[in-house]
Amino acid sequence: MRRPALVRRDRVVPATQALGFFVGIVVALLLGAVLLIVSDHSPAEVYERMFDSAFRGTDSLSRTLGRATPLALAGLSVAVAGSMGLWNIGAEGQMMAGAIVATGVAMMADGLSGPLLIALMMVAGVAGGMVLMVGPALARSHLGVSEIITTLMLVYVAIRVVEWLETGPWKDPESFGFAVIEPVPEQAALPGLFGRANIGMLIALGLLIVFSVAVSRTAWGYELRLAGSSPDTARYAGVSLRRKILAALLLSGGIAGLAGAVQLTGSATRLESGLSNGYGFAGIIVAALALMRPSGVAVVAFVFGAVQVGGQSIQTLGVSSAISDILQAMILFGALVAVVFFSYRVRWSAPSVGLPAGVREEPDPSAEAA
Amino acid sequence: MSEDALIGLFVATVQFGTLVYLAALGELIAERAGVLNLGVEGMMAMGAVSGFMVGLETGSPWAAFFAAAAVGALVGGFHALVSVVLGAGQVVSGLALTIGGLGLAAYVGRNVVGERPEALFTDLGIAGLADIPWIGEIFFDQPPVVYVAVVMGLSVWFVLARTRLGLAIRAAGESAPTTDTAGHSVMALRSGAVMVGGAFAGAAGSFLSLYMAPGWVEGMVAGRGWIAVALVIFGAWRPGRLALGALLFGFTLALQPRLQSFDIELLGVQVNRISPALLGILPFVLTVVVLVIISWRYRHRPSVAPAALGLPYRREER
Repeated sequence: MRRPALVRRDRVVPATQALGFFVGIVVALLLGAVLLIVSDHSPAEVYERMFDSAFRGTDSLSRTLGRATPLALAGLSVAVAGSMGLWNIGAEGQMMAGAIVATGVAMMADGLSGPLLIALMMVAGVAGGMVLMVGPALARSHLGVSEIITTLMLVYVAIRVVEWLETGPWKDPESFGFAVIEPVPEQAALPGLFGRANIGMLIALGLLIVFSVAVSRTAWGYELRLAGSSPDTARYAGVSLRRKILAALLLSGGIAGLAGAVQLTGSATRLESGLSNGYGFAGIIVAALALMRPSGVAVVAFVFGAVQVGGQSIQTLGVSSAISDILQAMILFGALVAVVFFSYRVRWSAPSVGLPAGVREEPDPSAEAA
Repeated sequence: MSEDALIGLFVATVQFGTLVYLAALGELIAERAGVLNLGVEGMMAMGAVSGFMVGLETGSPWAAFFAAAAVGALVGGFHALVSVVLGAGQVVSGLALTIGGLGLAAYVGRNVVGERPEALFTDLGIAGLADIPWIGEIFFDQPPVVYVAVVMGLSVWFVLARTRLGLAIRAAGESAPTTDTAGHSVMALRSGAVMVGGAFAGAAGSFLSLYMAPGWVEGMVAGRGWIAVALVIFGAWRPGRLALGALLFGFTLALQPRLQSFDIELLGVQVNRISPALLGILPFVLTVVVLVIISWRYRHRPSVAPAALGLPYRREER
């Protein structure tokens, strides 16, 4: 029987990841179409609605950009940790923590003018995200506790804290008994650009550029990547692994916290338990598809923003918006598989049973003795 | 605190413990073979929804339970295909499995949200033993899945520690090239382990929707799958210690909704006046604290984790 084996290709397929991303989108759309047909929907109608609502006209485009903003920031957060080989699975919770602290600042300083208050809230957001990351970062750097589990556990903690604030200490006295927190002051709303897009988009874009340069063009970024890919080499070169781990994780948490503050001042009116809305988790897929490169994060976040806007729009056709979660996961799976086949080819070979060719079998000495 | 409330707490401890134990046992099998699967949460959700739906169709909790296990194995097979057969990154693939699994479960179950369950597990009430005060109610008057979990725990221990297959599985998790040289197919061992692990997670999910919180709603797994992943570390990759950890975590999961009704004082704070939302953070904070403590205690010892955990294996590249 001949058996298949994966063999590395001699010639490298150019732009592997970009091509893989494209293949992933196609695969996801095809599998999504199967799912839609099975459940008696017309894929053509559903996909047309999704495309229109995400891209046709300035309003649609601004909606997509509005969704892409938190996705890009969360993706960047994951990518900063990821460029050192660390996994921040808890961006979802750090977004919440950022929004909590930003809300607290807004409550204390609601007399300030708009720009000043917004700036203060952004700083508060970064601080909040970092605070939630301190524990996992120290546990990882000094004890080697897997940051995957600890960052994730704190997501549930952050969301519960918001629920607690909603029902208790920060409950809006003017909410007629509803468990909601009072809205952020009007002057704290991020200035709009066009349609529904606001300057949050520019903040995300600016940070992506900054980190793009910092990670790939500075000594700091080089050490970060070195510490991730080859810890022994880095240690030999005098890089403190502990400090690099702390720096990467705290920055990652801070960026996610900023995403929370941007979300709070940009598209939400108040702090609520649904504020992070899965952006933190989707950010992991975004960063993975971008191979942890900030430049790629922008592109993937835009596409995912469109998928999410599309997912919302098809609810009016009676189609569940869960489709967009499925599509996002399928894009990643499709890309993962495609990239494997870009780097490897399948070789069918006979199983290697017995001795390698060219080696003669020695006569068994015990048989001779008998 | 009344005696009944206390017994109720321990009864629920065993049930929550069973829930996370089953899922964690599956993850343990996969990790012992060298494959990290972060898709437990997604596999449990798929198990919960498919178990509930099969229960609606057939009316039989056992048919639902095994169907959920089969679905779990199928979903796990996806992770095996991508990360073992094709050798893509295990962390990314597992996370996508969680996100995709939660999405697919929400989609598949969109029409049965809030339906009344047709099939439910009932408490066994083992003759003679169930009447023993305290012990009887806590250990011998539980749904059958609890005893299935005990049997599975013993079986997994036996297979891993005492059989040639178990040795091969553990070898695949310690050193894939060595296992390959010894004539075992690393791909088959690892894929099999991931799929069996998926079956366990799926079954655990159906225990949720067929007994603990009958019905299906989106988000009903609520992080228990992630606790199962953490539990494997706590259990040092051994089924026995895993059971102890499961009872500990089961206790906190059971305690949290009940603390409200307890009229006790802790550190000068009246416990029943703490907000339920705040009590909800307990299991998750405990997980982090426990992981930190065991890492600190064992910081000078070599890691007990399978040496090849998380590393893909391609024969041509060894």
